[in-house]
Amino acid sequence: MTHFHTGRRIAVAALFALSSLAASAADLTVSAAASLTNAFKELGPAFEAQNPGITVVFNFAASDALLAQIAKGAPADVFASADQEAMDRADAQKLLAAGTRRNFVSNSLVLIVPSDSTLGLAAPADLQKLEVKRVAIGNPASVPVGRYTKGSLEAAKLWSAVEPKAVMAQSVRQALDYVARGEVEAGFVYSTDAAIMKDKVKVVATVPTETAITYPIAAIGGSPNGAAARKFLDFLATPAAQTVLSRYGFGKP
Amino acid sequence: MDAPLWVTLALTLKVAGWATAINLVLGVAVGWLLARKRFVGRELLDSLLTLPLVLPPTVLGYYLLVVIGKRGWLGHWLQETFNINLIFTWQGAVIAATLVAFPLILKSARTAFESVDPQLEKAARVLGLNEWAVFFRVTMPMAWPGVLAGVLLVFARSLGEFGATLMVAGSIPGRTQTLSIAVYEAVQAGQDDTANVLVVITSITCIAVLLAAGRLAPAGRVR
Amino acid sequence: MSFDVDIRKTVTSERRSFTLRVSFRTHARRTVIFGPSGAGKSLTLQAIAGLLRPDSGRIAFDGAPVFDGTQRIDVPARTRNFGYLFQDYALFPRLNVRQNIAFGLRSGLRNPSKQASGDEVERWLQAFELVDVAAQRPAELSGGQRQRTALARALAHSPRALLLDEPFSALDPELRDRMRAELDELLQRVDIPVLMITHDREDLAWFGDEAIYMLDGAIAERPPVLERRVPTRLKAL
Repeated sequence: MTHFHTGRRIAVAALFALSSLAASAADLTVSAAASLTNAFKELGPAFEAQNPGITVVFNFAASDALLAQIAKGAPADVFASADQEAMDRADAQKLLAAGTRRNFVSNSLVLIVPSDSTLGLAAPADLQKLEVKRVAIGNPASVPVGRYTKGSLEAAKLWSAVEPKAVMAQSVRQALDYVARGEVEAGFVYSTDAAIMKDKVKVVATVPTETAITYPIAAIGGSPNGAAARKFLDFLATPAAQTVLSRYGFGKP
Repeated sequence: MDAPLWVTLALTLKVAGWATAINLVLGVAVGWLLARKRFVGRELLDSLLTLPLVLPPTVLGYYLLVVIGKRGWLGHWLQETFNINLIFTWQGAVIAATLVAFPLILKSARTAFESVDPQLEKAARVLGLNEWAVFFRVTMPMAWPGVLAGVLLVFARSLGEFGATLMVAGSIPGRTQTLSIAVYEAVQAGQDDTANVLVVITSITCIAVLLAAGRLAPAGRVR
Repeated sequence: MSFDVDIRKTVTSERRSFTLRVSFRTHARRTVIFGPSGAGKSLTLQAIAGLLRPDSGRIAFDGAPVFDGTQRIDVPARTRNFGYLFQDYALFPRLNVRQNIAFGLRSGLRNPSKQASGDEVERWLQAFELVDVAAQRPAELSGGQRQRTALARALAHSPRALLLDEPFSALDPELRDRMRAELDELLQRVDIPVLMITHDREDLAWFGDEAIYMLDGAIAERPPVLERRVPTRLKAL
């Protein structure tokens, strides 16, 4: 092929340029609270299908841990937290893109036990029983579910009785795992987490919390994928996404 | 809910101390066996016992959890027979640290015993010593520098153990939250000041261990 | 006194295997087993001392068995009460001369102290002129001093016979004759039966009241031919 049509050459070059543009267009990094793991993993491909050219990368952990990473410069584009406190701290550290913060789902706190438990626990007050030796609670210093739990137990004047039995979990999923394995007699998780392991844990009570459990989400300021981040936030508000979320047990914000 | 600094330090030293003591006995016993006795599958056993060195600590932690957890075969038996549960206890942390650090002393001990001249042991036997006396008066003193090096490695490794310990013992302040776990927690919670203090304490402890090591096993005395 | 040995032993290592098939009896005060390297002399001596277990056979000293395959007798080395001199002496490198000599006199789990003393220790220090170096370690001694220390150690617990593994081969040639003379004189003083293995004809000449020849793991009828060397002194051959 000694000669290529000049036109074809330009077309090929243009195609290359466009495709490389599309490829570098967005690896959207979403740092989300651990309790969102299953729901977001399902929503990710759906979002990508609607937005070809954007690849979503998830990073799940306890909200405070995610915040610590972002504060130290981790390249996250979106931050989904399980409580307002973590997001407030992010705001105070001026990490958020202005005007992007909003609540997108709600959740509830439940007391769970291993599915083969015979202790007959029915309410947080039962945790004072002698047979209850260990209770899995997220670490209040770094895990929102722990803060909700502590707040609720303090309000019920049960915290001083339960704290000595507490096994601190690094995230709500770890608390769930402790209960599922039977290593603890009870634990506090979100109702959405309990639903994931229906066969290994059973919910014995829904625990009222001081503040309603609403999950805020926001785009991170100064990220190179601001546009894609906003698209993701808008996507979560769509009926389709909300349906998926409610299927996992999340409520409306 | 955090424990005072010195409590965390004391706990860390306690866990590392026990793990080292157990590993000293185990490492010397198994190392001697591998060095002196020939049997089918000897090298295979050596490889198996060295496995914890190459496996990620979290993998080890998971195996331990499965085995000694309440539903595991060993954990269940311990619970039924002795009402002992190792998960979330400092004893569980000791087991995790012991397992993770074992290959370090095994290698050192085996090599040390292999380097002991068997003629010396024979001489001792002919001179009337029983096998225990041969071991403690001839074999062990000659192997000691190598074994000691292994002991120090084990101690240092146990001090810093994190992954397996976290899985098995959890992070309970004052009971199982060792220095390395405390650092992790502090960083997660955004408590940089606490993290900095913990890191400095840990570093000082490690330097102290190294210095003590230099005293106990000076390079010049090793033959 | 008598040694009565009739044993078989197969030793395998890597790819080779070596079979020892030895049978001899000696009543002499001084017996030399003579043969080239690899003949199996050392294995034989170790078997007699209890450091090596034969596959079958019998070893008896003064009529009493220390090993008997059929009767399942195997007296452990520590109770056979033979003195053994290793080819490179096997002195304990971290113990001084006193401690080495006193080593076998103490049966517990602790070594003799650096100032170990007692009748036996002093006697041998004197007899071997080791008093001046009593506090030194083997690495600081001359070849001759090391041999004397090893000998003293072997004799300290009053063994009923002395087994010597090529006692002079580790020494310089000039030293050997002197050491042979010393050992000869010592043996006359101490009067203890001796079984020596060697590939050196000189040793045969000096100590071979009875000579046993070995070749390829078995007793040979005639002295095996080794490299020709003119012996500097011939007693009787």
